[in-house]
Amino acid sequence: MTLNPSPLNLSRSGGCTLTGALSVTTHVRDAITIIHGPKGCTHHNFSLLHATAVENERVSLPDIISTGLSESDIIFGGEGALRQTLNKAALQNCSVIFVLSTCLVETIGDDVAAVCHGSYRIPVIQIPTAGFLGGTFQNGVNNALNAIADTAEPCPKALCVNIIGEKNLEYEVEENYAEVCRLLGAIGIPVNVRFLRDCSMGDISRLGAARLNILRDGEVWAVGERLRYRFDTPYIPSFPVGFAGTIRFIEEVAGCFGVNCARVVHEEKNLQKEILTEFEDIAGTSVSFDPAGVASGTFPVAREIAGHFGITIDPGSLTVPLQLSPPVGTNGVRHMLHRWRRAIHA
Amino acid sequence: MPECENPLWPCAMTGAAACLAGFEGVTVVIHGSSGCYYYPATLLHAPLQGTFLLENDVIFGSEQRLHEVLDGLSGCGKKIAVVMTCVPAILGEDIRSMLRDYDVVLVDSPGFSGDVEVGYKKALSALVPAIDAETPGINIDGVCLFDPFSTGNVRETIRLLGNASVPVGTIFCSDHLGKVRHAAAYTVGTNRDFSSGVGEWVGGTLGFEEIKATMTKVSSIFPYADPDPVFKEIEREDERIVRACDKFLRRFDPPQTLIFAGFSYATFAAYTLKHYLDAEVLYIGSRNEPGAASPKAGCVQGFSRVKDLIRHYNPDLVIGSSFEQSVDPKPAFVGLTPPVRGIVKLAPHPVTGISGSLSFIENVLNACMDRGK
Repeated sequence: MTLNPSPLNLSRSGGCTLTGALSVTTHVRDAITIIHGPKGCTHHNFSLLHATAVENERVSLPDIISTGLSESDIIFGGEGALRQTLNKAALQNCSVIFVLSTCLVETIGDDVAAVCHGSYRIPVIQIPTAGFLGGTFQNGVNNALNAIADTAEPCPKALCVNIIGEKNLEYEVEENYAEVCRLLGAIGIPVNVRFLRDCSMGDISRLGAARLNILRDGEVWAVGERLRYRFDTPYIPSFPVGFAGTIRFIEEVAGCFGVNCARVVHEEKNLQKEILTEFEDIAGTSVSFDPAGVASGTFPVAREIAGHFGITIDPGSLTVPLQLSPPVGTNGVRHMLHRWRRAIHA
Repeated sequence: MPECENPLWPCAMTGAAACLAGFEGVTVVIHGSSGCYYYPATLLHAPLQGTFLLENDVIFGSEQRLHEVLDGLSGCGKKIAVVMTCVPAILGEDIRSMLRDYDVVLVDSPGFSGDVEVGYKKALSALVPAIDAETPGINIDGVCLFDPFSTGNVRETIRLLGNASVPVGTIFCSDHLGKVRHAAAYTVGTNRDFSSGVGEWVGGTLGFEEIKATMTKVSSIFPYADPDPVFKEIEREDERIVRACDKFLRRFDPPQTLIFAGFSYATFAAYTLKHYLDAEVLYIGSRNEPGAASPKAGCVQGFSRVKDLIRHYNPDLVIGSSFEQSVDPKPAFVGLTPPVRGIVKLAPHPVTGISGSLSFIENVLNACMDRGK
């Protein structure tokens, strides 16, 4: 692909705010999402969500309605089409309607907020998106999470955590969550709300009950801050990554709840030792990493793990695969090592 | 255009990209945002370029950015084709003037201008295909990268024409760009939904009856053509299909079937199921406008209508895409329409030709028999 590397254009490949917001709103079970724009935009995103759902063995598909703007709507304005679609959607059995706009609508200047403020049978929440005119994919995710968080009210705190900003389009999303749950379970802390993955609006209303938020990674930092401001909930800035990071994660969570975690840390270190033994056949090799498309946080973890095995990192040697995001927890490292071993012995 | 719940068919921009990217010697530039770029790039599995517009490009004009990308691609030795997306199409820029110093093909097919077929036709028209009286043989058309069966269709149709001793002209749209303006005078089709309109139409290749009719006509046009090997193969394979279907009908009822596909493939599926399995086609939900009026066929482009039809008819067999497959796990399912997700698909199976019919019936019988397990 052709990308301009100048600093002004860093977000040229940042994706679409609409897709980012949809990856969140379509996980609210009792909601309908309206996309105000041409139906092609909705098809693109529906097809993408469908592909991701099939890969994650999710059977049900989200309800997304396109206002289906045509050439004449673009010339004369699409607000009427949005109003008509909202009126019809409000007759359906749902708790909330999310309205997302596209770059085309932003360009023609439809007043989406005014239409959304009309009187409808159920709440209508406009999520700030505008395709690429609204920023990047991650802006769309954060805008959606913040807008939906604003629907929840403060409530009494309980002994639990929220998981914030899981990457719903990530192939390993469930495995990553399972790994975090394993660690939380070991120190006796349950999950309150996965904000936002496969939730109802009722679930989301309990958002303020958690005593700690665990962010997926630094990209949802703004959401963590918003939740701290609204519900006075502190946060841990990332899922656990790498061996040392996993131990640190256990200690931080336990510290927040005043739980003694010495035994859990000891057991986790033993598990990590077992993994080092399991993969000792790759020790002393020489590898390289392909940086294309990989998050910067992945490299420190890869270097840490390579260091445990005395693996030399040499740009001219065999390339081993890396995940887009850093491997989560001890078991994430294990998955990564299986892929390394396959490449090394290929 | 009325609102549409979960639209199932791509836009014109995707169709244009699918047409152009099929030609060797063309570099396709999607003039729009990264969001518009990623969908065709991932769907078509073809190398595409993009201008990846940002807000500043919209406010101050996209000319500089477009030139930047085109300059970066100059010297690649390929013809550059610029495909317009929705936002640049309505900015009011004089795009032709912006491109006057570049040797590029401009395709004005923003998403809102129609569906995938519209963009495909616009893009092909922009390449100005032409017949060259010196080019022997027959063109093959209806080939679109968007169709997961397109590679198989090309190979199968080349095989059939080869068996009939007829050379292949230009393949629309899966060929070298240089052949677009040197097409043969006659054309056979693999999928009428993506017909090229180039050359005199000889016939299609979907199903045995259509192949026989086409080959008969081919032999009347080309004195050197010998369709007998194709006719003999059809006779042999037809017997195999009849035998397999007859065996199926000894134990099972004919499947009551719902079909969701482009109209061309849908009519092929309906005819084949009726002919060999005495199947009842409950309804054809055509992704595009049905070519012939029928109470049992209509244009179905939204997922809610698909769900309604499947729940209403409660079919034994669903032919369609993995969208339809996701509605209800109970009916047998055969993938004929993109997208077909959730399976590994490496071999180039065709829908057209003799192998296409064999493959289709094989999939139907296996799916229907597996359903009972």
